[in-house]
Amino acid sequence: MSRATERRRSPAEWLQFGIAAVIVAAMFYPAIWMVYSAFKTNREIFRTPFALPKEWQWGNLIEAWEVGKLGTLYLNSVFITTAAVAMCVLLATAAAFAFTRLEFPGRRLMYRLLLVGLLIPPPSVAIALFTQLRDMHLLNTPWALILPCAAWQLALTVFLMRAYFNAVRPEMEEAARLDGANVWQILWHVSVPMVWPAMLTMIVLNTIAVWNELLFALLFITDDSQRTLPVGLVRFSGYHSTDYALVFAALAITTVPILILYFILQKQVIAGLTATAMD
Amino acid sequence: MAIEDRAAPISSGAGNLWFAAPAMLLFGTFVLWPLGASVYYAFTFWDGFSAPRWAGFANFARGLTDITYLMSYVHVVLYILATLVFEVSFGLVMAVLLNSDRPGFALMRGMFFSPVVLSMSAGGVLWTFVLDYRTGLLNSVLKALGLGDWAQPWMSQPETALLFICLVSGWKYAGFYMVIFFAALRRIPKNIYEAARLDGANALHQFFHVTLPMLRQNILVCVLLAVMGGFAGFDLFFTMSNGQPFGATEVPATWIIKQAFDQDQIGYGVALTVILTVVVSLISIVYIRLSERANVTRY
Repeated sequence: MSRATERRRSPAEWLQFGIAAVIVAAMFYPAIWMVYSAFKTNREIFRTPFALPKEWQWGNLIEAWEVGKLGTLYLNSVFITTAAVAMCVLLATAAAFAFTRLEFPGRRLMYRLLLVGLLIPPPSVAIALFTQLRDMHLLNTPWALILPCAAWQLALTVFLMRAYFNAVRPEMEEAARLDGANVWQILWHVSVPMVWPAMLTMIVLNTIAVWNELLFALLFITDDSQRTLPVGLVRFSGYHSTDYALVFAALAITTVPILILYFILQKQVIAGLTATAMD
Repeated sequence: MAIEDRAAPISSGAGNLWFAAPAMLLFGTFVLWPLGASVYYAFTFWDGFSAPRWAGFANFARGLTDITYLMSYVHVVLYILATLVFEVSFGLVMAVLLNSDRPGFALMRGMFFSPVVLSMSAGGVLWTFVLDYRTGLLNSVLKALGLGDWAQPWMSQPETALLFICLVSGWKYAGFYMVIFFAALRRIPKNIYEAARLDGANALHQFFHVTLPMLRQNILVCVLLAVMGGFAGFDLFFTMSNGQPFGATEVPATWIIKQAFDQDQIGYGVALTVILTVVVSLISIVYIRLSERANVTRY
């Protein structure tokens, strides 16, 4: 800690602290309000919106979990996110390795094509992708989300991984080459351990993106048993729009674990999300 | 974004294609192919099932005279302008405000950033309840403050619905821009501020004459992200209003989905996506060119 933290705070610093605290509290309050409202009865939510629950209605959570089939939604989301992120990060690492360390025909053209993916918003191809997935008989299967989500995250992931590769001199790889290792061995045993921290950052970045994906999930999966959490939540709140306690309970169940995970992994999460805009 | 800033390759030959091929295959199949197919379908009448019939420019002509579609661009531009205020500018101000090593500030930064990791659908559902006319948090606060007359059905009035979607978007994303600016602030050498203080610059002067110029590059990137993210905006609009009330919050993405899937006009919907792609690509290319030139002349 620097010496600045030991000095007593000046009035200006107290003012800074005060203003910041009020703004942050006001913005964080809706999340807290949602959590404790999940434990109230509808009557309480309506009559005393600010008060804590008189009796904590744990039953709300159980009812929301069962009525909304939140367990299924969680499982679907976990499976789709894991598969899409693993596919995207592995392929992107290999491609970034190829674009920075190797020479082959079409290298520049391929990289430029990939950069197109940074310019195009997903809604632009959503419809064509829908008919394509239907013709491939992939609609209403997990693959209808895994493959497109992995593909759509590729451009950014290759772009960022390439920057990491460029930031590291290829001396280790060259030395391994002189020792007679083939290119696959170099990628797996030298490069991957070297860029592993960057891969972790990409895993976090892509996990958040795929976990929260709504547009593709809404269009490509219409079967209730295959849905992911974001779509399931929107449907749930649509069906039960008058049962406030139940919707708050479902919201709490779907957001609180994510918030806890975020506060534990805060450093990695922030590094992952800001990688998009730094340098 | 220089393409050739790399060391000599460790291996060359067509065999090395295998390292990039899987990624390119996936990208080609699910990004480039549907993009190309879109351009073809855009010139056809197609309900998605029977064979497409050639339509020439009919879909485009219809799109350019579709009042709702044109208005959706007005809404999305208003939304983007609002995000520049509620997300980028607010994020910048909060980065400066939360830039301190004192106890408590790290926690506040973490709390301020937390909505970024939540899904738009969770955020949208939560705020729909906050803004509810009868039982919403906002109107309850107004009543508690004795301002009950100010309570409004915020999301069912055309004049306020779009504004509140912009505010919720700010709640969700200001933290993202805050951490970017915060990281950049930490890289500004302290002695620049000391020199400015010796010259008699107060906090406001320091912000406008030291902080802003030093963050120039980051601000340019953040504006680009906000503009491109804005045009792609769908989740929050779909969750909170889906174009209602009276089309006041219709944006290109929500309108396109309705045309294609609710009306079975795949050809027409695809033409609207092609227009969107062209608009977004043109704007971002022009913006990138302009900001590169601005940097060349500046330094």
